[in-house]
Formats: sequence, structure tokens, C-alpha cells
Amino acid sequence: MIADPYKVLGISPSSSNDEIKKAYRELSRKYHPDSYVDNPLSDLAEEKFKEVQEAYDQIMKQREGGYSGDGNYGSQGTYTSGGTDEPIEMTAVYNYINTGHYREAINVLSSIGNRTARWYFCSAIANAGIGNNYEALNHAQTAVNMEPGNPEYTNLLNQLQFRGQTYQNTRYGGGSFGTGNLCCDLWCADTLCECMGGDLCRCF
Amino acid sequence: MPTSNAGAACQGGTMFGYVNIYKPELKMKDFYKYKAYYCGLCKTLKDKYGSFGQITLTYDMTFLIILLTSLYESETTHEIHRCIVHPVKKHDTLRNKITEYAADMNIVLTYYHLLDDWQDDKSIAGFTGTKLLNNKFNKICKKYPRQCKGIGNSLNQLKECEKSNLQNIDLVSRCFGELMAELFIYKEDVWEPTLRKFSFFLGKYIYIIDAYEDLAEDIKKNRYNPLKSISEKESYEKECKNILNIMMAECTSEFEKLPCLLDADILRNILYEGVWTKFESLQKKKLENIQN
Repeated sequence: MIADPYKVLGISPSSSNDEIKKAYRELSRKYHPDSYVDNPLSDLAEEKFKEVQEAYDQIMKQREGGYSGDGNYGSQGTYTSGGTDEPIEMTAVYNYINTGHYREAINVLSSIGNRTARWYFCSAIANAGIGNNYEALNHAQTAVNMEPGNPEYTNLLNQLQFRGQTYQNTRYGGGSFGTGNLCCDLWCADTLCECMGGDLCRCF
Repeated sequence: MPTSNAGAACQGGTMFGYVNIYKPELKMKDFYKYKAYYCGLCKTLKDKYGSFGQITLTYDMTFLIILLTSLYESETTHEIHRCIVHPVKKHDTLRNKITEYAADMNIVLTYYHLLDDWQDDKSIAGFTGTKLLNNKFNKICKKYPRQCKGIGNSLNQLKECEKSNLQNIDLVSRCFGELMAELFIYKEDVWEPTLRKFSFFLGKYIYIIDAYEDLAEDIKKNRYNPLKSISEKESYEKECKNILNIMMAECTSEFEKLPCLLDADILRNILYEGVWTKFESLQKKKLENIQN
């Protein structure tokens, strides 16, 4: 971990994403090993090059999460039992989730017959971890429906919905798209197709 | 005609067109640039693989070229060529080593698609096409074994899902997501994890919208479609839009982490708007059908 990754890139924490990317590009070009072949400073440059890369990755990771901050799902870093009456297998599930072994967590979960709100909550986290984001969303919703007052479940559902909302808000206008005219849309696409002589409609 | 979505997804005209620009929001200079990348790919396919290669020319590959060119800031050559198909017109082309890569990958997808066609239908067209492509494919496989093996494996997994009529959308579409991931990993370097996630969700998006487009036809012809189960729900349209939305949300969240500055306007135009053009027009068509 770099204490102040912004300082490494020579920018302020309030910089936009594009400003960060520009700074990263400039510095990684400046310290690129290719520019220091047979140069006594090559070790120093390489160290600097790696540091720039690390700083960039760190900032992007910090910024990615938005709602959750660290980019990982779940309200806290580690998961523990939701109650005393849980099946013994759940201990393994928590261990797997806490160590990022999501597939293993899903395997154990699928062997448990009694599907409580807690089960759906854990399943949502594990599925999100391996990119089954639709399943994750559904299971988080089920957990909330089963136990509406549980802040941990609500929190997870909000986190899973957050990116979808951000994406929609980022889109132009956020409402209707297309020219509003199908023929016109087709014509636009067709204009591009002409390069290979294809009428778009033949491509379908 | 392919009987499976795996085949359909790789077919020039079927999968293709989903990852496209949204012209009304694109600056003219960016539009011409996009076109030049597209024509550059067309020219490269022609040079490397003859007119056969061009059959499979696709917009999605143009996107791959622009994205990787932006990420690696590859040196690009600008040329003006007479277009083979429109000999009277002259076209700008933009080409670099990523164009070569995309052309090779295009051939790999075509090969698997034709092979799939032949296995499913024993179609002569598929068979002769595959034979023609065999040598080219083998050569590319030697050069890019990871990609070729990965794509082959993913397509096999997809076939298994289809055979068992799997209706879990995440599980089916992730096969295609993994295929796209192998395709987009041009170099195994520091960007691999981000690029992998990015293309994984883009691939899921493509697979699902392809299934969305084909649903009515697949039901009519009693073919597999992963959306059959949820299409019985009243909330089907809304649900599909939500699924597609969360796929692009994850995809773009990864994109924003890549230091892509070059042609970022084109890339964002595609990722935030262009990918929706097809969906919107399909929804509009459905609405018109209901009204009439």
C-alpha cells in the first residue's frame, strides 16, 4: 500500500478520473524501462515505474466501489454466523467467503437444504464474487424479502443495485435513446456497413 | 442456419451489431475515425485471408480494435485505399498490430461457427467452409494457443448448457463471457484482471441480448433459449432490461478503471449508448406489433 498514491502521480485527490489517467500515462512513459536501456538510472526508473503503476491501481480500486468503497460486496470485511441455530456447514461458507473462495462457498451452500434468509444473503455474496451478478441480485432481494428489517441484507442489496443505477445515470439524458425512428437508426448502421458493400439488412 | 445460440452468437450478422456506435451522439470526426478502423479491419482481412475473410467482418471486432488500441496506444497507420467492394470510392483506413490480431480472432470465430454449423446440420456449406479454413485456423492456433483453446472450451460448455436446457441466465451467459474474455486478453499483463472482467460482462450482455432477440423465433421452432422461463413472467420486458443494465454496469465499471484516453469518446459512446440501440429498436417493434 502506498500512503499517498495521489502524491506519486503528482495530482490532488479531487482530480477527475481522466486527469488521473493523463498523469499516469505521462509518468509511465517517462519512467518506462525501454527509455533506460544501458542507463545507470535504469534501476531507479524501474522502481519509479512500478510505483506509478501501483499508485494508479490503488486509486482506481479506491474509486471503483462507490458505495462500498473497497469494491468488495458485503457490509463488513468478514462474515460470521448469523445465529446459533445455523447448520454447521455455514462455518465453512463464511470461511470460504472471507478468503475469496466463492466457488467453494457456492458448492457448500448448494448442499444445504434449509434455505434461510442468511443462506440467500451468503449465496448473494458468493455469486457476486464469481460474476453471477443477476443471481446475486435475486438472492439478495430474497434475503431482504424474508427479513425486511435486517440492515445487513438491505445494505448488500443496495450495494448490488448501486452500479446499475450509476450506469443509468451516466448515460446521456438517462431516458430514451435511438433517433426515435427505426428507419433512421437502420440507416445509420447501414452507412457504416457500406464499406464492405453489405446492405445491413443482408447482415441479419 | 445454426440450431444453437453458440453458433448464432458467432455468426457474422447475428451476434454482430450489438456492440456498435450510437451515431446521433457521436462527433463527426469520431464517426469517420470509427469508420476508418472498420475499413482497416476489412482491408486487413482481405489482405490476409482473401475475400473469404471479409464475409465475417464485424462491428464487435472494430470495438475490440479501438479498445485495445486505446489501452496500448499502439502506433496506427493511416492510409487511403480504394474499397474492394466500392471501387469508385476511396476510404480512409486505420491499421495497427491490433487490427492484425482482430483479423486473426475473426477467423477463429468463423472457424468455430462453421464447424458448429456443420456438426449441427451436417450442412455442406459449413463443411466446405471449415475445410477451407482449416489451414488458416491451425496457423492462428499456433500463434495464439490460449485464445483458440479458450474459445473452443467455452463454446463446448455453451453447448452443454443448451443440451440440458439450462435456464439459469448467469450460468449460460458466463460461457460466452469467458469466450469474450479470452478474445480481449491480447497480452497477459497488468491490465489482464480488469480487461477480463470487462469483457466477461460484455460477453454476458451480448449473449443475453442475442437470446432476447431470438426468443420468439426459438419458441416457434422449439429451439433452446435461456430466456424461455422468465419470458413467462409478466415482468419479462422489465426484467430483461434490468439484466442487460446490470451487465453493462459491471462492464463499464471495469472500463473506467482502464487508462483509456485515446478515442475514449467513441468507446463511451458504444458502451453507454450504442449497445442499447438494438434493444431499444426491438422494444419499439414489439410495441408497434401490439398496437397494430
